[in-house]
Amino acid sequence: MYGPAESEEWIHSVCDMCFAACGILARKKNGVLVKIEGDPNCPASEGHLCPKGQAGLIGVYDPSRVKAPLIRTNPQKGIGVDPRWQEISWETALEILTDKLTKVREKDPRGLVVSSFDQIAGSYFIRPAWAPAFGTPNSDWVGYFCGNYLHASMYLTNGSFHSDFDLDYCNYAILLGNQQGFMAGLNANVTARKMADARRRGMRVVTVDPVGTNAAAKADEWVPIRPGTDGAFILSLINVLLNELNCYDRDFLSRRTNAAYLVGEDGGYLKEGRDGKPLVWDLKSQGAVPFDEANIDPAIEGLFSAGGERCQPAFQVLKEHVRDYAPERVEPITTIPAANIRRIAKEFGAAARIGSTIVIDGEVLPYRPVAVNIYRGAGAHKHGTHTALAVQILNMIVGAYYVPGGHRGPNLVGPAGRWGPGATKEGLITPPSAIGHGARYYEFEERSPDDLGLHQLFPITTNRSPMYEINLTNPQDFSLPYKPELLIVCRRNLLMNNGNPEIIAAALKKIPFIVTFSTHLDEVAELADLVLPEAHYLERFDLFPNRPSHTMSPATGHFYWGLRQPVVEPLGQSRRWIDVLFEVADRMGFLGDVYKLMNVNLGLKEPYKLDPNQRYTMDQIYDCWTKSLFGPERGIEWFKKNGYHKVPRAVEEKYPGPFLKPRFPVYFENMLRAKKSVAKVAAQLGHPWDTSDYQPVPDWKPCPAYDAGKSPYDLFVVNFKIPFHSLSVTTQNPWLNDLAEHHPYAYKILINAETGKRKGIKDGEEIWVESVAGKVKGEAKLTECIHPEVVGIAGVFGSWAKGKPVARGKGVHFNSLLPVSLERVDPVSTGLDSCVRVKISRAA
Amino acid sequence: MARYGMVIDLNTCIGCNACTMACKAEHATPKGIFWAKVLEKEVGKFPAARRIFLPVLCNHCKNPICQEVCPTGATYKREDGIVLIDYDMCIGCRSCMEACPYGPRAFYESDGAYYPGERTAYEKSQQDFSEGVVMKCNFCVERVDQGLDPACVVTCVTECRVFGDLDDPQSEVARLVADKKARPLLPEKGLEPSVFYVGS
Repeated sequence: MYGPAESEEWIHSVCDMCFAACGILARKKNGVLVKIEGDPNCPASEGHLCPKGQAGLIGVYDPSRVKAPLIRTNPQKGIGVDPRWQEISWETALEILTDKLTKVREKDPRGLVVSSFDQIAGSYFIRPAWAPAFGTPNSDWVGYFCGNYLHASMYLTNGSFHSDFDLDYCNYAILLGNQQGFMAGLNANVTARKMADARRRGMRVVTVDPVGTNAAAKADEWVPIRPGTDGAFILSLINVLLNELNCYDRDFLSRRTNAAYLVGEDGGYLKEGRDGKPLVWDLKSQGAVPFDEANIDPAIEGLFSAGGERCQPAFQVLKEHVRDYAPERVEPITTIPAANIRRIAKEFGAAARIGSTIVIDGEVLPYRPVAVNIYRGAGAHKHGTHTALAVQILNMIVGAYYVPGGHRGPNLVGPAGRWGPGATKEGLITPPSAIGHGARYYEFEERSPDDLGLHQLFPITTNRSPMYEINLTNPQDFSLPYKPELLIVCRRNLLMNNGNPEIIAAALKKIPFIVTFSTHLDEVAELADLVLPEAHYLERFDLFPNRPSHTMSPATGHFYWGLRQPVVEPLGQSRRWIDVLFEVADRMGFLGDVYKLMNVNLGLKEPYKLDPNQRYTMDQIYDCWTKSLFGPERGIEWFKKNGYHKVPRAVEEKYPGPFLKPRFPVYFENMLRAKKSVAKVAAQLGHPWDTSDYQPVPDWKPCPAYDAGKSPYDLFVVNFKIPFHSLSVTTQNPWLNDLAEHHPYAYKILINAETGKRKGIKDGEEIWVESVAGKVKGEAKLTECIHPEVVGIAGVFGSWAKGKPVARGKGVHFNSLLPVSLERVDPVSTGLDSCVRVKISRAA
Repeated sequence: MARYGMVIDLNTCIGCNACTMACKAEHATPKGIFWAKVLEKEVGKFPAARRIFLPVLCNHCKNPICQEVCPTGATYKREDGIVLIDYDMCIGCRSCMEACPYGPRAFYESDGAYYPGERTAYEKSQQDFSEGVVMKCNFCVERVDQGLDPACVVTCVTECRVFGDLDDPQSEVARLVADKKARPLLPEKGLEPSVFYVGS
């Protein structure tokens, strides 16, 4: 195969089998794509590539691809109902789409809804430019689980989008409901490599998870936990550290957080004047002074009186609050023995080496080589925001924040000072808009919401996707002044990735016209009116797929920018959906407005700004964008030839903690204001509303499944990740499917061996798993590697669309078991609860 | 002359199967056939239970029993230790599969295309075998002859695989075999594999 070929070329591009966006080199022999390898020049890949990236190759040859635009001729819509597609020309399709969109825009542009998990198109073009230019706020119907509670909590605490930690120096890591470093999660390729190196030098890993995953297989300790109780475990660790071991970083807390800010009896800050700065108690002068006064020694503990008001430092409030989480009380909640909770707290505290320093690149930096990392398994529950905030507090109390070895969010500071965090007038960190969303959780709009996500009712969020479905299902609940008229979907399987499909199908049927940009006639396309053939990633042209918010990993030691360029010609009449929407905008007359917004959002500089009166190809737009960022020598042609532009990180860019002024909140006073604001908005809507989750200190509160263990729904079901599949994107790949079919766990229903035996279920037997929302059938796998109260179903499997013949009928569809309702949504972040009680029975 | 071998660190393998897929992509192996695999096993009882991962491939034994039993000479060993199959000479008798205790060989019966019906342009370009033969890992001989490492080694995300000349004391594989208690699978069979494992 490496013999003489007539022609051979290697093309720089970027994988899209998950969001990591690893650089790849695609090898073509005589014009045929024959291999994909990791690009040695890409800091994320360094020449390595995961199973999904390797398998991408065979997907481009899939004969099931949608090759031409299709229009529905069967007016009946439903799961399993043949739409009776009729092929039409692109010109006809564009006329239909333009006509429909024009009518929606005339009636009320908010009637347009866009749902996509195409991160590049969504974050660069749709959300900040195309959708606002069209006039709709309803452009972020994205995910329901991994991100919702997490991103909001991260922006609030670490000023960034995502949770990460420094594997170069960490010595003790607690993975809470995730497998970061074991080929799962964001930037999986690079974190796997870094985790392997860290483990080689002796880093200790503790995984807390109901399932014995790949991470648990390699961890030094697997802590099996009852689903949805992670918050109690974390608060107990904090309690042991603060109140039993007296182990916390006083210096970090008093100087770098709001721990010293005095709070009154109402929980709010004591301030200098009505809108002045928060006060702290200066132990030197024995009085209350503004927090940023020089040469003070602020107390973080004690009870004081200032201006006639009784007050205490916020940290004192936290310290007392967590006393409620004694390990003995938390043991029956979590099923983690109290002795283990105490031991892990002790290990974590000792490993943190509070007070120590390390010299890196000539700088003396605080050295706190511990981190707790939270992701979906722990946080995707009702009250998940509290769990995430508790985790952040745990990292903060030992000072393991943006210093060597500790927790961090990615790219808080940009290269050569290009961006950095801001601060509220209370001195607390606010995120740079360069890392997305421009989230602000300190000022609230008290008006009736007019978007499907009900933004003003859920201010502390990065997206409110489950509310789209809830609003569509029960529009009378929130009485928006318009109805959704047209839905555009791309790379977002609304049927498979939400809750039970019947719920979302009923909601979607209310939308008069649905357009999907699809590579396959998948479960969403089945309910569409117009299907347009979308390009496969090896046919696409996407600039900068590594976004600073989360897929430009600091673990690489670099900032890096790459290009996904076409490796093969588009199949049939496939087109990139952004190109199509730009053409439609042009026909409708608002493309100039899109360009204006892009000038701002992409940071385009003269002479490369887009002229709203001109028309540009995507190639030209990318050339303007690259040159705006990197100068005239690094235009799009440079990127096509060279692949990656890389800048090594300086020490203050790797570990910005000691170099920043903004403080991190360990007490969430803003929640008190959010509570009032949300109550006002709910009152305006005439809707009774529970604001009890808006608290300045986190609690563990049981999610709906916790108390619902009544016979016969006696077990929990949870979802987990496997290394060679990602969302439903990979399920139609025949190589990955072949691997999964040969794998002992991938397509099976995991049941604890003892539990299975008790229920008379044999290994390999077909069983039903049933919840209040739905039921699924599959092969039982009896295993020692799962909590006895838990049933485990991996991935997003169990596809049913005829247009996905490889995926169809393979594996089990976990999401069918999930109900979708307001009661099952995290009231702060809107994340949908991802566990539910089930019963299992033999299918025969 | 070199004697090629591989060392795999079981402490570091995370069971992701990147090797499995890279091998398949490199050689366009038919449906259901994997020249490189990751075997899994559970050890212990809950809660002290875990899965363990064992990446396997052809061991390119120094004393290959497959070559001994092959009636046509289709299976042969190169001077550099790589054990190969000449597909033109293979009659598919499968004596080699019976004799080999490790199980890396597979018999390609028919219809191995991944999309039912027609082979893809990629499969047509890359498949140099026909139906009715036995096939197995060939240590990526075409890559090795160009000075490249095997696809499984290059792609491994945790860098737990090393390839090189076992007879060169300076090579990493030779050092690991000498220093780190590297051991082959089933040493008691006396076949002297060229693939070694460290860690547990």
